Amino acid sequence: MVRRRWQGGDAGLTARMLLVMVLLAALYLAFVAVLVQAGVDSTALLLFAVVVAGAQLFFSDKIALWSVGARVVSEQEEPALHAMVERLAAMADLSKPAIAVAPTAIPNAFAVGRGPGSSVVAVTRGLLDQLEPAELEGVLAHELSHIRNRDVLVVTLASFFAVVAQLLVRSLMWSGMYGWGGGFGGYGGWGGRGDRRRDGGVSGIVLIYVASLAVWAISFLLIRALSRYREYAADRAAALLTGAPSALAAALAKLSEAVARIPDRDLREVEGMNAFFIVPATARASLAELFATHPSTEKRIERLMRLAAEMERPA
Amino acid sequence: MKWLDALFGRPRVPASRLDALFAISTARVTLEANLGLRWDERAAVVLRGVESSYYEGAERELDQLLGIALKETGTASTRQRDAQGFEWLVLRDEELEDVVAAAHMVGQTLQAHGFLDRLLAALFAFRGADDRVVYWVYNYKRGTFYPFAPRDGRARDYALELRLAAVMKAEMPIEPATERWYALWDPPL
Repeated sequence: MVRRRWQGGDAGLTARMLLVMVLLAALYLAFVAVLVQAGVDSTALLLFAVVVAGAQLFFSDKIALWSVGARVVSEQEEPALHAMVERLAAMADLSKPAIAVAPTAIPNAFAVGRGPGSSVVAVTRGLLDQLEPAELEGVLAHELSHIRNRDVLVVTLASFFAVVAQLLVRSLMWSGMYGWGGGFGGYGGWGGRGDRRRDGGVSGIVLIYVASLAVWAISFLLIRALSRYREYAADRAAALLTGAPSALAAALAKLSEAVARIPDRDLREVEGMNAFFIVPATARASLAELFATHPSTEKRIERLMRLAAEMERPA
Repeated sequence: MKWLDALFGRPRVPASRLDALFAISTARVTLEANLGLRWDERAAVVLRGVESSYYEGAERELDQLLGIALKETGTASTRQRDAQGFEWLVLRDEELEDVVAAAHMVGQTLQAHGFLDRLLAALFAFRGADDRVVYWVYNYKRGTFYPFAPRDGRARDYALELRLAAVMKAEMPIEPATERWYALWDPPL
Protein backbone atom coordinates (compact mmCIF):
# COMPACT_ATOMS: atom_id res chain seq x y z
CA MET A 1 0.00 0.00 0.00
CA VAL A 2 1.23 3.43 -0.91
CA ARG A 3 1.41 6.15 1.70
CA ARG A 4 1.51 9.63 0.29
CA ARG A 5 3.63 12.04 2.26
CA TRP A 6 1.26 14.99 1.94
CA GLN A 7 -1.68 13.12 3.42
CA GLY A 8 -0.54 13.67 7.01
CA GLY A 9 0.39 16.76 8.95
CA ASP A 10 2.95 19.42 8.15
CA ALA A 11 5.93 18.41 10.32
CA GLY A 12 7.26 21.98 10.50
CA LEU A 13 3.91 23.29 11.63
CA THR A 14 3.55 20.59 14.28
CA ALA A 15 7.05 21.38 15.57
CA ARG A 16 6.29 25.09 15.81
CA MET A 17 3.01 24.42 17.60
CA LEU A 18 4.83 22.14 20.04
CA LEU A 19 7.46 24.85 20.64
CA VAL A 20 4.79 27.46 21.41
CA MET A 21 3.01 25.07 23.76
CA VAL A 22 6.27 24.23 25.58
CA LEU A 23 7.13 27.93 25.90
CA LEU A 24 3.65 28.67 27.25
CA ALA A 25 3.90 25.83 29.75
CA ALA A 26 7.35 27.01 30.89
CA LEU A 27 6.13 30.58 31.20
CA TYR A 28 3.11 29.52 33.22
CA LEU A 29 5.17 27.25 35.49
CA ALA A 30 7.57 30.11 36.18
CA PHE A 31 4.62 32.38 36.88
CA VAL A 32 3.11 29.95 39.38
CA ALA A 33 6.54 29.55 41.01
CA VAL A 34 6.82 33.33 41.43
CA LEU A 35 3.31 33.50 42.90
CA VAL A 36 4.06 30.71 45.35
CA GLN A 37 7.46 32.23 46.21
CA ALA A 38 5.84 35.58 46.92
CA GLY A 39 3.47 33.85 49.28
CA VAL A 40 0.31 34.64 47.39
CA ASP A 41 -2.61 32.58 48.57
CA SER A 42 -3.96 32.12 45.09
CA THR A 43 -6.76 29.61 45.72
CA ALA A 44 -9.48 32.19 45.33
CA LEU A 45 -7.71 33.70 42.36
CA LEU A 46 -7.39 30.34 40.59
CA LEU A 47 -10.99 29.54 41.38
CA PHE A 48 -12.05 32.81 39.82
CA ALA A 49 -9.92 32.10 36.74
CA VAL A 50 -11.49 28.65 36.44
CA VAL A 51 -14.92 30.25 36.52
CA VAL A 52 -13.84 32.75 33.84
CA ALA A 53 -12.42 30.00 31.61
CA GLY A 54 -15.50 27.82 32.17
CA ALA A 55 -17.81 30.69 31.30
CA GLN A 56 -15.73 31.31 28.19
CA LEU A 57 -16.09 27.68 27.15
CA PHE A 58 -19.78 27.47 27.81
CA PHE A 59 -21.00 30.87 26.72
CA SER A 60 -18.57 32.13 24.09
CA ASP A 61 -20.47 30.22 21.40
CA LYS A 62 -23.79 31.81 22.28
CA ILE A 63 -22.23 35.26 22.59
CA ALA A 64 -20.42 34.89 19.26
CA LEU A 65 -23.58 33.79 17.44
CA TRP A 66 -25.62 36.50 19.12
CA SER A 67 -23.12 39.28 18.37
CA VAL A 68 -23.38 38.73 14.61
CA GLY A 69 -27.10 37.98 14.74
CA ALA A 70 -26.62 34.41 13.50
CA ARG A 71 -29.61 32.09 13.69
CA VAL A 72 -29.51 28.30 13.59
CA VAL A 73 -31.18 27.15 10.36
CA SER A 74 -33.04 23.89 9.81
CA GLU A 75 -32.54 21.43 6.99
CA GLN A 76 -35.77 22.65 5.36
CA GLU A 77 -34.56 26.25 5.31
CA GLU A 78 -31.10 25.60 3.85
CA PRO A 79 -31.13 22.14 2.25
CA ALA A 80 -28.06 22.66 0.04
CA LEU A 81 -25.94 24.04 2.88
CA HIS A 82 -26.98 21.19 5.16
CA ALA A 83 -26.22 18.60 2.49
CA MET A 84 -22.76 20.06 1.95
CA VAL A 85 -21.87 20.10 5.66
CA GLU A 86 -23.29 16.60 6.05
CA ARG A 87 -21.10 15.17 3.27
CA LEU A 88 -18.00 16.81 4.71
CA ALA A 89 -18.83 15.60 8.22
CA ALA A 90 -19.33 12.07 6.86
CA MET A 91 -16.02 12.27 5.00
CA ALA A 92 -14.22 13.44 8.16
CA ASP A 93 -16.19 10.96 10.31
CA LEU A 94 -17.42 13.73 12.62
CA SER A 95 -20.93 14.21 13.90
CA LYS A 96 -22.70 16.93 11.99
CA PRO A 97 -22.57 20.34 13.69
CA ALA A 98 -25.51 22.71 13.86
CA ILE A 99 -25.54 25.35 11.11
CA ALA A 100 -26.27 29.04 11.62
CA VAL A 101 -26.64 31.87 9.13
CA ALA A 102 -26.01 35.55 9.91
CA PRO A 103 -27.87 38.11 7.80
CA THR A 104 -24.66 40.02 7.04
CA ALA A 105 -23.52 40.92 3.53
CA ILE A 106 -19.82 40.69 4.46
CA PRO A 107 -18.75 37.17 3.41
CA ASN A 108 -17.31 35.32 6.39
CA ALA A 109 -17.65 32.16 8.45
CA PHE A 110 -16.75 30.86 11.89
CA ALA A 111 -17.12 27.82 14.08
CA VAL A 112 -17.83 27.80 17.80
CA GLY A 113 -18.21 25.13 20.45
CA ARG A 114 -16.06 23.01 22.70
CA GLY A 115 -15.84 20.03 20.40
CA PRO A 116 -17.65 17.79 17.96
CA GLY A 117 -21.19 17.28 19.14
CA SER A 118 -21.72 20.71 20.68
CA SER A 119 -20.51 22.87 17.83
CA VAL A 120 -22.05 25.33 15.43
CA VAL A 121 -20.76 26.36 12.03
CA ALA A 122 -21.92 29.87 11.19
CA VAL A 123 -21.80 31.50 7.78
CA THR A 124 -22.93 34.93 6.64
CA ARG A 125 -25.49 35.44 3.91
CA GLY A 126 -22.76 37.22 1.94
CA LEU A 127 -20.66 34.05 1.98
CA LEU A 128 -23.49 31.97 0.55
CA ASP A 129 -24.19 34.58 -2.11
CA GLN A 130 -20.66 35.33 -3.26
CA LEU A 131 -18.81 32.01 -3.27
CA GLU A 132 -18.94 29.22 -5.82
CA PRO A 133 -20.06 25.86 -4.37
CA ALA A 134 -16.52 24.44 -4.40
CA GLU A 135 -15.18 27.53 -2.63
CA LEU A 136 -17.98 27.41 -0.06
CA GLU A 137 -17.17 23.77 0.53
CA GLY A 138 -13.53 24.67 1.22
CA VAL A 139 -14.58 27.26 3.79
CA LEU A 140 -16.97 24.81 5.48
CA ALA A 141 -14.23 22.16 5.56
CA HIS A 142 -11.93 24.72 7.23
CA GLU A 143 -14.55 25.36 9.92
CA LEU A 144 -15.13 21.62 10.42
CA SER A 145 -11.38 21.22 10.90
CA HIS A 146 -11.46 23.85 13.66
CA ILE A 147 -14.17 21.75 15.31
CA ARG A 148 -12.20 18.53 14.88
CA ASN A 149 -9.09 20.20 16.33
CA ARG A 150 -11.15 21.62 19.23
CA ASP A 151 -9.58 25.01 18.68
CA VAL A 152 -11.90 26.87 21.05
CA LEU A 153 -10.98 24.45 23.85
CA VAL A 154 -7.25 24.47 23.08
CA VAL A 155 -6.99 28.27 22.94
CA THR A 156 -9.12 28.70 26.08
CA LEU A 157 -6.90 26.29 28.00
CA ALA A 158 -3.75 27.91 26.59
CA SER A 159 -5.07 31.27 27.79
CA PHE A 160 -5.84 30.12 31.33
CA PHE A 161 -2.83 31.58 33.12
CA ALA A 162 -2.85 34.58 30.83
CA VAL A 163 -6.26 35.31 32.32
CA VAL A 164 -4.87 34.85 35.82
CA ALA A 165 -2.04 37.28 35.04
CA GLN A 166 -4.47 39.74 33.58
CA LEU A 167 -6.68 39.56 36.66
CA LEU A 168 -3.66 40.15 38.89
CA VAL A 169 -2.45 43.14 36.89
CA ARG A 170 -5.89 44.72 36.97
CA SER A 171 -6.49 44.10 40.65
CA LEU A 172 -3.02 45.37 41.58
CA MET A 173 -3.64 48.49 39.56
CA TRP A 174 -6.83 49.07 41.49
CA SER A 175 -5.23 48.41 44.82
CA GLY A 176 -2.38 50.72 43.80
CA MET A 177 -4.86 53.47 43.14
CA TYR A 178 -6.85 53.02 46.30
CA GLY A 179 -4.04 52.04 48.60
CA TRP A 180 -2.60 48.57 49.13
CA GLY A 181 -5.08 46.07 50.36
CA GLY A 182 -7.89 47.23 48.16
CA GLY A 183 -8.81 45.27 45.08
CA PHE A 184 -6.38 42.44 45.47
CA GLY A 185 -7.65 41.59 48.93
CA GLY A 186 -10.93 40.87 47.29
CA TYR A 187 -9.39 37.76 45.77
CA GLY A 188 -8.43 36.55 49.20
CA GLY A 189 -4.70 36.94 48.64
CA TRP A 190 -2.19 39.50 49.53
CA GLY A 191 -3.71 42.52 51.12
CA GLY A 192 -5.40 43.08 54.43
CA ARG A 193 -3.45 40.42 56.32
CA GLY A 194 -1.80 42.49 59.02
CA ASP A 195 1.98 42.37 59.44
CA ARG A 196 2.90 40.46 56.36
CA ARG A 197 1.93 43.35 54.18
CA ARG A 198 4.05 45.77 56.12
CA ASP A 199 7.34 43.89 56.05
CA GLY A 200 8.49 43.99 52.47
CA GLY A 201 4.95 43.85 51.20
CA VAL A 202 5.33 46.62 48.73
CA SER A 203 8.37 45.15 46.98
CA GLY A 204 6.56 41.79 46.89
CA ILE A 205 3.60 43.43 45.27
CA VAL A 206 5.83 45.14 42.73
CA LEU A 207 7.41 41.78 41.92
CA ILE A 208 4.02 40.17 41.38
CA TYR A 209 2.86 43.12 39.34
CA VAL A 210 5.89 43.03 37.06
CA ALA A 211 5.73 39.23 36.75
CA SER A 212 2.02 39.32 35.91
CA LEU A 213 2.53 42.08 33.38
CA ALA A 214 5.34 40.12 31.72
CA VAL A 215 3.33 36.89 31.66
CA TRP A 216 0.33 38.71 30.25
CA ALA A 217 2.38 40.32 27.46
CA ILE A 218 4.46 37.25 26.53
CA SER A 219 1.54 34.83 26.70
CA PHE A 220 -0.49 37.19 24.52
CA LEU A 221 2.12 36.93 21.76
CA LEU A 222 2.48 33.17 22.17
CA ILE A 223 -1.29 32.58 22.09
CA ARG A 224 -1.59 34.71 18.96
CA ALA A 225 1.18 32.63 17.35
CA LEU A 226 -0.63 29.44 18.36
CA SER A 227 -3.84 30.83 16.90
CA ARG A 228 -2.10 31.56 13.58
CA TYR A 229 -0.56 28.09 13.42
CA ARG A 230 -3.97 26.57 14.03
CA GLU A 231 -5.35 28.56 11.11
CA TYR A 232 -2.70 27.02 8.86
CA ALA A 233 -3.52 23.59 10.27
CA ALA A 234 -7.24 24.06 9.60
CA ASP A 235 -6.48 25.21 6.04
CA ARG A 236 -4.39 22.12 5.39
CA ALA A 237 -6.92 19.75 6.91
CA ALA A 238 -9.70 21.36 4.86
CA ALA A 239 -7.72 21.00 1.62
CA LEU A 240 -6.97 17.35 2.32
CA LEU A 241 -10.60 16.66 3.21
CA THR A 242 -12.01 18.12 0.00
CA GLY A 243 -8.96 17.12 -2.05
CA ALA A 244 -9.00 20.61 -3.55
CA PRO A 245 -6.51 23.12 -2.08
CA SER A 246 -7.12 25.48 -5.00
CA ALA A 247 -10.82 25.94 -4.16
CA LEU A 248 -10.01 27.03 -0.59
CA ALA A 249 -7.26 29.31 -1.87
CA ALA A 250 -9.70 30.92 -4.29
CA ALA A 251 -12.22 31.37 -1.47
CA LEU A 252 -9.63 33.03 0.79
CA ALA A 253 -8.59 35.40 -1.98
CA LYS A 254 -12.21 36.31 -2.62
CA LEU A 255 -12.96 36.84 1.08
CA SER A 256 -9.99 39.07 1.81
CA GLU A 257 -10.73 41.10 -1.30
CA ALA A 258 -14.33 41.53 -0.18
CA VAL A 259 -13.22 42.57 3.30
CA ALA A 260 -10.76 45.11 1.83
CA ARG A 261 -13.53 46.71 -0.21
CA ILE A 262 -15.82 47.37 2.74
CA PRO A 263 -15.49 50.67 4.61
CA ASP A 264 -13.78 50.46 7.98
CA ARG A 265 -16.80 51.88 9.75
CA ASP A 266 -18.91 48.83 8.92
CA LEU A 267 -16.11 46.44 9.74
CA ARG A 268 -15.69 47.84 13.21
CA GLU A 269 -19.08 46.46 14.12
CA VAL A 270 -17.86 42.90 13.73
CA GLU A 271 -14.18 43.40 14.59
CA GLY A 272 -14.54 41.88 18.05
CA MET A 273 -15.24 38.58 16.35
CA ASN A 274 -11.91 38.48 14.49
CA ALA A 275 -10.44 35.50 16.32
CA PHE A 276 -13.40 33.40 15.21
CA PHE A 277 -13.68 34.38 11.56
CA ILE A 278 -12.07 32.48 8.68
CA VAL A 279 -10.71 35.80 7.41
CA PRO A 280 -10.37 38.64 9.95
CA ALA A 281 -12.66 41.58 9.29
CA THR A 282 -9.87 44.13 9.41
CA ALA A 283 -8.96 45.99 6.28
CA ARG A 284 -5.95 47.78 7.71
CA ALA A 285 -2.69 46.13 6.84
CA SER A 286 -0.83 48.17 9.43
CA LEU A 287 -1.65 45.71 12.19
CA ALA A 288 1.65 44.08 13.04
CA GLU A 289 1.71 40.44 12.03
CA LEU A 290 2.96 39.51 15.49
CA PHE A 291 -0.33 40.60 17.05
CA ALA A 292 -2.64 39.07 14.46
CA THR A 293 -4.96 36.15 15.15
CA HIS A 294 -4.63 35.00 11.53
CA PRO A 295 -1.70 34.74 9.14
CA SER A 296 -1.96 37.02 6.14
CA THR A 297 -4.13 35.74 3.32
CA GLU A 298 -1.10 35.74 0.98
CA LYS A 299 0.79 33.42 3.30
CA ARG A 300 -2.18 31.08 3.67
CA ILE A 301 -2.68 30.89 -0.09
CA GLU A 302 1.05 30.34 -0.57
CA ARG A 303 0.93 27.40 1.84
CA LEU A 304 -2.09 25.90 0.11
CA MET A 305 -0.34 26.19 -3.23
CA ARG A 306 2.73 24.53 -1.75
CA LEU A 307 0.46 21.67 -0.68
CA ALA A 308 -0.97 21.52 -4.19
CA ALA A 309 2.57 21.19 -5.55
CA GLU A 310 3.39 18.50 -2.98
CA MET A 311 0.41 16.55 -4.21
CA GLU A 312 2.12 16.26 -7.59
CA ARG A 313 5.27 14.77 -6.11
CA PRO A 314 5.75 10.97 -6.24
CA ALA A 315 5.04 8.98 -3.10
CA MET B 1 -3.59 8.98 18.53
CA LYS B 2 -6.73 10.97 17.99
CA TRP B 3 -6.32 13.55 20.76
CA LEU B 4 -2.70 14.23 19.79
CA ASP B 5 -3.82 14.84 16.20
CA ALA B 6 -6.41 17.29 17.51
CA LEU B 7 -3.95 18.99 19.88
CA PHE B 8 -1.49 19.65 17.06
CA GLY B 9 -4.18 20.17 14.44
CA ARG B 10 -2.76 17.38 12.27
CA PRO B 11 -5.05 16.51 9.37
CA ARG B 12 -6.44 13.02 9.49
CA VAL B 13 -8.90 12.00 6.82
CA PRO B 14 -10.05 8.70 8.31
CA ALA B 15 -9.18 5.60 6.29
CA SER B 16 -12.06 3.73 4.71
CA ARG B 17 -12.89 0.18 5.70
CA LEU B 18 -13.59 -2.43 3.08
CA ASP B 19 -14.03 -5.64 5.09
CA ALA B 20 -17.66 -5.24 6.18
CA LEU B 21 -18.91 -4.56 2.65
CA PHE B 22 -19.61 -8.23 1.95
CA ALA B 23 -22.26 -8.34 4.69
CA ILE B 24 -24.82 -7.08 2.18
CA SER B 25 -24.41 -10.25 0.06
CA THR B 26 -25.17 -12.57 2.95
CA ALA B 27 -28.02 -10.37 4.19
CA ARG B 28 -29.82 -10.58 0.86
CA VAL B 29 -31.78 -13.72 1.74
CA THR B 30 -33.15 -12.28 4.97
CA LEU B 31 -33.92 -8.98 3.29
CA GLU B 32 -36.08 -10.74 0.74
CA ALA B 33 -37.63 -13.46 2.92
CA ASN B 34 -38.36 -11.47 6.09
CA LEU B 35 -38.69 -7.89 4.87
CA GLY B 36 -39.90 -8.31 1.31
CA LEU B 37 -36.99 -6.26 -0.04
CA ARG B 38 -35.86 -7.43 -3.48
CA TRP B 39 -32.44 -6.50 -4.92
CA ASP B 40 -33.20 -3.78 -7.46
CA GLU B 41 -30.12 -4.49 -9.60
CA ARG B 42 -28.55 -1.04 -9.04
CA ALA B 43 -25.75 0.12 -6.82
CA ALA B 44 -23.25 2.96 -6.64
CA VAL B 45 -19.93 3.79 -5.04
CA VAL B 46 -19.59 7.42 -3.95
CA LEU B 47 -16.10 8.87 -3.72
CA ARG B 48 -14.28 12.17 -3.74
CA GLY B 49 -11.41 12.87 -6.10
CA VAL B 50 -8.15 14.65 -5.37
CA GLU B 51 -6.49 17.44 -7.37
CA SER B 52 -3.49 15.31 -8.22
CA SER B 53 -2.26 13.55 -11.32
CA TYR B 54 -1.56 10.54 -9.09
CA TYR B 55 -5.23 10.32 -8.30
CA GLU B 56 -6.07 10.62 -11.97
CA GLY B 57 -3.63 7.77 -12.61
CA ALA B 58 -5.39 5.64 -10.00
CA GLU B 59 -8.70 6.49 -11.64
CA ARG B 60 -7.44 5.40 -15.07
CA GLU B 61 -6.22 2.10 -13.70
CA LEU B 62 -9.54 1.64 -11.95
CA ASP B 63 -11.39 2.19 -15.21
CA GLN B 64 -9.20 -0.39 -16.98
CA LEU B 65 -9.58 -3.01 -14.25
CA LEU B 66 -13.31 -2.43 -13.97
CA GLY B 67 -13.63 -2.60 -17.75
CA ILE B 68 -12.13 -6.09 -17.77
CA ALA B 69 -13.91 -7.38 -14.67
CA LEU B 70 -17.31 -5.98 -15.54
CA LYS B 71 -17.22 -7.40 -19.06
CA GLU B 72 -16.76 -10.83 -17.53
CA THR B 73 -19.70 -10.53 -15.14
CA GLY B 74 -21.89 -8.55 -17.52
CA THR B 75 -22.11 -5.57 -15.19
CA ALA B 76 -22.93 -2.18 -16.68
CA SER B 77 -21.21 0.85 -15.21
CA THR B 78 -21.32 4.61 -15.62
CA ARG B 79 -19.52 7.37 -13.82
CA GLN B 80 -20.82 10.84 -13.09
CA ARG B 81 -20.06 13.79 -10.86
CA ASP B 82 -22.81 15.32 -8.72
CA ALA B 83 -23.39 19.00 -7.92
CA GLN B 84 -21.23 18.71 -4.81
CA GLY B 85 -18.20 17.39 -6.64
CA PHE B 86 -18.52 13.77 -5.55
CA GLU B 87 -18.05 10.96 -8.10
CA TRP B 88 -20.79 8.35 -8.48
CA LEU B 89 -19.68 5.04 -9.94
CA VAL B 90 -22.99 3.43 -10.84
CA LEU B 91 -23.13 -0.35 -11.24
CA ARG B 92 -26.03 -2.38 -12.68
CA ASP B 93 -26.23 -6.14 -12.50
CA GLU B 94 -28.77 -8.86 -11.82
CA GLU B 95 -26.32 -10.47 -9.42
CA LEU B 96 -25.76 -8.62 -6.16
CA GLU B 97 -22.55 -10.64 -5.60
CA ASP B 98 -20.98 -9.28 -8.79
CA VAL B 99 -21.75 -5.70 -7.79
CA VAL B 100 -20.33 -6.20 -4.29
CA ALA B 101 -17.19 -7.73 -5.79
CA ALA B 102 -16.85 -4.76 -8.14
CA ALA B 103 -17.31 -2.28 -5.28
CA HIS B 104 -14.66 -4.15 -3.31
CA MET B 105 -12.30 -4.00 -6.26
CA VAL B 106 -12.77 -0.23 -6.44
CA GLY B 107 -11.67 -0.01 -2.81
CA GLN B 108 -8.66 -2.28 -3.32
CA THR B 109 -7.47 -0.36 -6.36
CA LEU B 110 -7.70 2.97 -4.53
CA GLN B 111 -5.94 1.42 -1.55
CA ALA B 112 -3.07 0.24 -3.74
CA HIS B 113 -2.55 3.86 -4.83
CA GLY B 114 -2.88 5.35 -1.35
CA PHE B 115 -6.31 6.85 -1.89
CA LEU B 116 -8.43 4.57 0.27
CA ASP B 117 -9.57 7.57 2.34
CA ARG B 118 -11.42 9.04 -0.65
CA LEU B 119 -14.28 6.53 -0.44
CA LEU B 120 -17.42 7.91 1.18
CA ALA B 121 -20.29 5.45 0.72
CA ALA B 122 -21.72 2.60 -1.32
CA LEU B 123 -25.45 2.38 -2.01
CA PHE B 124 -27.40 -0.78 -2.81
CA ALA B 125 -30.95 -0.31 -4.09
CA PHE B 126 -33.76 -2.60 -2.94
CA ARG B 127 -37.44 -2.53 -3.76
CA GLY B 128 -40.18 -3.29 -1.25
CA ALA B 129 -43.51 -5.07 -1.80
CA ASP B 130 -45.14 -1.62 -2.15
CA ASP B 131 -42.71 -0.94 -5.03
CA ARG B 132 -40.90 1.76 -3.07
CA VAL B 133 -37.13 1.96 -3.06
CA VAL B 134 -34.95 1.54 -0.01
CA TYR B 135 -31.18 1.98 -0.15
CA TRP B 136 -28.77 0.16 2.07
CA VAL B 137 -25.89 2.58 2.51
CA TYR B 138 -22.42 1.38 3.45
CA ASN B 139 -20.42 4.04 5.31
CA TYR B 140 -16.79 3.33 4.36
CA LYS B 141 -15.46 5.50 7.17
CA ARG B 142 -17.20 3.51 9.86
CA GLY B 143 -17.56 0.12 8.21
CA THR B 144 -21.29 0.09 8.94
CA PHE B 145 -24.57 -0.11 7.02
CA TYR B 146 -27.74 1.90 7.48
CA PRO B 147 -31.04 2.05 5.60
CA PHE B 148 -32.08 5.14 3.66
CA ALA B 149 -35.72 5.28 2.54
CA PRO B 150 -36.25 8.57 0.69
CA ARG B 151 -39.80 9.67 0.04
CA ASP B 152 -41.25 12.52 -1.99
CA GLY B 153 -40.19 16.04 -1.06
CA ARG B 154 -36.93 15.26 0.72
CA ALA B 155 -38.67 13.22 3.39
CA ARG B 156 -37.51 9.93 4.85
CA ASP B 157 -39.54 7.01 6.08
CA TYR B 158 -37.81 6.90 9.47
CA ALA B 159 -40.22 4.31 10.90
CA LEU B 160 -39.38 1.91 8.10
CA GLU B 161 -35.64 2.62 8.41
CA LEU B 162 -35.68 1.91 12.14
CA ARG B 163 -37.60 -1.33 11.62
CA LEU B 164 -35.23 -2.49 8.89
CA ALA B 165 -32.23 -1.71 11.05
CA ALA B 166 -33.70 -3.56 14.02
CA VAL B 167 -34.45 -6.67 11.96
CA MET B 168 -31.09 -6.73 10.18
CA LYS B 169 -28.99 -6.02 13.27
CA ALA B 170 -28.16 -9.70 13.71
CA GLU B 171 -26.83 -10.09 10.16
CA MET B 172 -25.17 -6.80 9.28
CA PRO B 173 -22.98 -4.28 11.09
CA ILE B 174 -25.67 -1.61 11.51
CA GLU B 175 -24.55 1.96 12.29
CA PRO B 176 -25.57 2.40 15.95
CA ALA B 177 -25.63 6.22 15.91
CA THR B 178 -28.77 7.18 13.98
CA GLU B 179 -27.53 10.77 13.60
CA ARG B 180 -24.85 9.29 11.31
CA TRP B 181 -27.51 7.88 8.99
CA TYR B 182 -26.66 10.59 6.47
CA ALA B 183 -29.10 11.17 3.66
CA LEU B 184 -27.86 10.93 0.06
CA TRP B 185 -30.63 12.74 -1.78
CA ASP B 186 -31.42 12.05 -5.42
CA PRO B 187 -28.84 9.32 -5.98
CA PRO B 188 -28.16 9.18 -9.76
CA LEU B 189 -28.61 5.43 -10.12
